[in-house]
Amino acid sequence: MKIISKEDFQSFVNALIQEDSWNVIGVKSRGNKFAFAPLDSADELHLDYDVTLLPPKKYFFPQRETLFTYDISNGFSAKNPEETKPMIIIGVHPYDIIALLHMDEIFRETKSDSFYFKKRESSIIIGVNIQKMSKYNFSSYMGCATVDYGYDLMITDLGNRYAINVGSQKGEDLLSKYAKNVTLALARDVQTAGQKKRGIMNQSEQEFKFPPELIPELLKDSYVKSGFWEKHSEKCLACGSCVLVCPTCYCFDVKDNPDLSLEHGERIRTWDGCLLEDFAKIASGENFRATRPTRYRHRYFKKGKYLFDRFGFVSCVGCGRCSSNCLPDIANPVNLFNDMYQESQNAGAQFATSIQPDVNIKTEGNIDYVPKLATIIKKVPMTASETLFEVKLEDGVELGHKPGQFVEVSIFGIGEAPISISSSPTKKETFELCVRKLGNVTTKLHKLNVGDRIGIRGPFGNGFDAESLKGKDLLFVAGGLGIAPLRSLFNYVLDNRKDYGKVFLLYGCKEPKEILFGEELLSLASREDVEFKSAVNWCPENETWTGSIGVITTLIPQVSFDPEKTIAVLCGPPVMYKFVIADLKGRNVPDDHIIMSLERRMKCGVGKCGHCQINHIYVCKDGPVFNYSKIKGVPEAL
Amino acid sequence: MKPKVAFFDFAGCEGDQLQVANLEENLLDLLGQVEVVSFREVMKEHSDNYDIAFVEGSCTRLQDEDRLKQIRKNAKLVVAIGSCAAIGGINSLKNYKDLDQVKKTVYGEHAALFDSYSARPIDAIIPVDAYVYGCPIDREDFLQVVKSLLLGKKPETPTYPVCVECKKNENVCAFERGQFCVGPVTRAGCNSCCVNEGTICWGCRGLIDNPNENSQKEVLIKNGLTVDDAIGKFRLYFGWQEAKR
Ligand SMILES: Cc1cc2nc3c(=O)[nH]c(=O)nc-3n(C[C@H](O)[C@H](O)[C@H](O)COP(=O)(O)OP(=O)(O)OC[C@H]3O[C@@H](n4cnc5c(N)ncnc54)[C@H](O)[C@@H]3O)c2cc1C
Ligand code: SF4
Ligand code: SF4
Ligand code: SF4
Ligand code: SF4
Ligand code: SF4
Ligand code: FES
Repeated sequence: MKIISKEDFQSFVNALIQEDSWNVIGVKSRGNKFAFAPLDSADELHLDYDVTLLPPKKYFFPQRETLFTYDISNGFSAKNPEETKPMIIIGVHPYDIIALLHMDEIFRETKSDSFYFKKRESSIIIGVNIQKMSKYNFSSYMGCATVDYGYDLMITDLGNRYAINVGSQKGEDLLSKYAKNVTLALARDVQTAGQKKRGIMNQSEQEFKFPPELIPELLKDSYVKSGFWEKHSEKCLACGSCVLVCPTCYCFDVKDNPDLSLEHGERIRTWDGCLLEDFAKIASGENFRATRPTRYRHRYFKKGKYLFDRFGFVSCVGCGRCSSNCLPDIANPVNLFNDMYQESQNAGAQFATSIQPDVNIKTEGNIDYVPKLATIIKKVPMTASETLFEVKLEDGVELGHKPGQFVEVSIFGIGEAPISISSSPTKKETFELCVRKLGNVTTKLHKLNVGDRIGIRGPFGNGFDAESLKGKDLLFVAGGLGIAPLRSLFNYVLDNRKDYGKVFLLYGCKEPKEILFGEELLSLASREDVEFKSAVNWCPENETWTGSIGVITTLIPQVSFDPEKTIAVLCGPPVMYKFVIADLKGRNVPDDHIIMSLERRMKCGVGKCGHCQINHIYVCKDGPVFNYSKIKGVPEAL
Repeated sequence: MKPKVAFFDFAGCEGDQLQVANLEENLLDLLGQVEVVSFREVMKEHSDNYDIAFVEGSCTRLQDEDRLKQIRKNAKLVVAIGSCAAIGGINSLKNYKDLDQVKKTVYGEHAALFDSYSARPIDAIIPVDAYVYGCPIDREDFLQVVKSLLLGKKPETPTYPVCVECKKNENVCAFERGQFCVGPVTRAGCNSCCVNEGTICWGCRGLIDNPNENSQKEVLIKNGLTVDDAIGKFRLYFGWQEAKR
């Protein structure tokens, strides 16, 4: 520990501000509140603040950030944005430091987010121990009121001088180069600093009625809790304040922002939040968390359970910002969890310390938000609203996908949309996308022609494990557009026919004119090695239809298969799964013999933006293919 | 071929067209993309040959309806600009008063000569393809909508409330300053501009699709507003929308 007088500390900060090579940011007053903002002078610093309006995360993951700029006036080019100057951030409280450690893990998992880490790694954090605790702060309960790691320098106010803990070589160097009269701490300083820290621990006005370590356990059985979520969220305005001010929230939206030339523009990401109405809504109109109680619940589960299962931490540092920003006063985690605990106690529940999950964070490379360029080389209209596009990546690059994976298709100025790859991986130079015209990207795509260029990111998602299916009998069940992703596996199986057992394909549509891949399906009729059945809900009088009439489940009794040897592969609209699964269960198909591909709203495609989440699962990276045995207990899945 | 655009006004203050006329350097860029064939605010000529009609002001008389229907017939796209056209706006304040009383106050003894009915947004009469909310509209928001239409895309109108933008802008909340704000039920898209300037949101962009009105009123009252004043806060801009809900 080191000691510096308050005067010398001022000079130190002013010396840092003089340097041109970085931006110095500190806690300043804003109205009767405080905010992190660029410093012009050390006099502006308020190190005795209670809490800032927004956490310092805004410097690493800004409210609005350019992912790249594009220019389509002459071919296409995309540029990553210019790098920003390194930052020195002065006055970060311990809970916000720990929140940044949370963010590090989230942005590192699977693929690393270089936008975040470039800023994070070049920056210097000068922390300060809490002097005045905000009324809503409960960081002491969360183990986040003090911290020994995650800073370059940490300051404790000792009256007329500061104690400084050095947390890194960068911090050490900064101090020795820019600070004068720094001395080593004496025993009394160390002791006073210790007492100050203890004082902080006892300052909280909030009170947890149980150890917050039990939150994950408590939530385990609270997803369905009669009336609980409805009651607590009754006053929710769906304003998103509770998540927008949270230092550990990371959800974002991605959109294109063209300029008036319409040929140049940028793709940006902006903060988003799971409390907002359209967060989980998809183009077909389905909203997977349509009501306020479901969204309200999602936030608490996300903080208390989902991230715990994934990373081993409760994703709340107790800063109290959510509580103080919620106008109807329903966002305070302390109150909610206390109520939940009380109810569970009353119901006689016992809680043991929660099990630590197996945390296994792997990172492979960086996320690339800039798409690869590709050309439409064939466009085949299939129905009034669906078209098959054959696409080739620029410079003869192969996509190299697995069946069941998807790509993010970009049209610059419009945006991006996830589309399944519909062709088998055996077809290498090009790939096919079967697209339904629904919203902005998909409608614009339909207006493009052969030779036009689009952007492609991916392939993304886990895809089907074609290897493990070898030797099995396969029962494909496709509803409507669900044939698109299944076709990649189906055609792969046909291309490697001898590796697989019996193959059934059951396909259902609303009416004959909505049938996709009609000719291909027709050719199956002459094959001995595939049993193909199809059904339509209804057939207009002037059309002919030789298949069945009815919903897709009418086809299941028409095929005989051995449930032990058969794997059922499902894809269709959300309503289809429940009924098909029930019928398959009726035919004794074991849970783990059913696999399916699911759809959710997506933005990033790489497990970061939070949009595709089904409870703790990210469809974009854990899926879109799931084994029924793994998700049947997941309440939001089916 | 540049799309032809025309501007029309009904019962409104023309403040929105003024915002367009005042686009400054962006106006030139805009004129690079569209051809303006009718715009009373800045030109004398008028043509009925247009692709996009921007309509300002609410419909307050039966005669307005025919003119609106004609515009709908002529245009490929109809865009409501400003609160009056998009949500009924401040004009709908009068809907709370007895209509004859309103006429008397406004037109005095000639009241009987004017036929006026309750103010309504233009989509009460004709289908509308896109909306630019606000009183007046925000220039940046207007350009966003225009760019979307030119690109053949449905404008991404926020369904979330002003608080979202306000939080991102790191404002001190009006309620923390002892003031009263209807940002939590008002459609965002203005970048919370009024709160950024240290005031409050009056709700000029209208209600979000699913506002929690009871909770918002409770918040206003809990913070010290009388019940009547809380209701007044809602009436200023939300009149037509509230009546419809
Ligand atoms: C894994 C996966 C595979 C898919 N495969 C296909 C396919 O093969 N063919 C096909 O036609 N459609 C497919 N979809 C659905 C397709 O992604 C949506 O129809 C499309 O995103 C709509 O985008 P839009 O811009 O036209 O609509 P808008 O309504 O303008 O949507 C705006 C944005 O919201 C998001 N979004 C909206 N709907 C969806 C959705 N259903 N799923 C994910 N994000 C959504 C997207 O980011 C989209 O760009 C798939 C979806 C997923 C998740
Ligand atoms: S819980 Fe509170 S802050 Fe969060 S969305 Fe609802 S009203 Fe807003
Ligand atoms: S949930 Fe609330 S208290 Fe916890 S970190 Fe987020 S804003 Fe702070
Ligand atoms: S999903 Fe999680 S990270 Fe995203 S906004 Fe909700 S609580 Fe925050
Ligand atoms: S000032 Fe108004 S818009 Fe801003 S956060 Fe407060 S209530 Fe919401
Ligand atoms: S802050 Fe409110 S009153 Fe101001 S422009 Fe936005 S919606 Fe209108
Ligand atoms: S987390 Fe962004 S799409 Fe899955």
